[in-house]
Amino acid sequence: MSAQEMTKRRRCIQPLSEIREEDHKVVIRIEMPGVSKKDLDIQVENDRLKINASRSGKQPEGTYLVRERSCADYEKVFTIDETIDRDSIEAVMNNGVLELRLQFKKEVQPRRIEIKGS
Amino acid sequence: MELAKWRNNTLQEPMDEFDRLQDEINKLFDWTYPSNRGLFDRSLSPAVDVVETSDEIVLTCDLPGVKKEDLDLSISRNVITIKGEKKGEQKKEGSRIFRKETWSGSFQRTLSLPETVDPDKVEASMKDGVLTVKIAKREEVKPRQISVNVK
Repeated sequence: MSAQEMTKRRRCIQPLSEIREEDHKVVIRIEMPGVSKKDLDIQVENDRLKINASRSGKQPEGTYLVRERSCADYEKVFTIDETIDRDSIEAVMNNGVLELRLQFKKEVQPRRIEIKGS
Repeated sequence: MELAKWRNNTLQEPMDEFDRLQDEINKLFDWTYPSNRGLFDRSLSPAVDVVETSDEIVLTCDLPGVKKEDLDLSISRNVITIKGEKKGEQKKEGSRIFRKETWSGSFQRTLSLPETVDPDKVEASMKDGVLTVKIAKREEVKPRQISVNVK
């Protein structure tokens, strides 16, 4: 990485997340306050699910009396295994929370077997 | 019984030991609670920024996943209180949690703003999980430009 690229790269922080499995889906919730739909970039690359988000909200000019919030961009990489169907990943952004729904591939989903008989 | 090498450097500088002790005691007095922990504030209180500009005070608060309806904002004189509830996901039957870094529950934060604010001129908006409250300053404290005609 060249020096120019280094300076271009903004400081990134890892957002807080929650991962759970329900209804044969993996649901990932990521809290990213200050990020709207258009600031998000989600990419799947082999077994990596990359989430990048920039905060569009500009910093107000003035003197800070209290400063606790971070103004860095968000970056998060998840590793997904081969049971996840890459083509059916859904993403919903609502109130600063990104929800990703990852479906399992057909062949690993439980299947009901019909019982034939007289 | 401990078999430690006897260090006799205290013998050479016996006052060093007293200095160290004094430093330790001084540190005890310097230690304070973090200033943002009020009576109602919890460790889970949302992060806040307060910025003062020439004619208003802008308060921003990170509240991802909090709906406008679950938020209660009040101001009396120069003390502003943000109260609300961050509702987590409803736990469904048969769901398994693998990782949870997020928190949910009720929260409250009280901040005292500079005396110059006008509690009647408050504007609050919620966007992308960020609450922005703009409180105007009182007219008499705003910087004014008076043009003087020079003859």
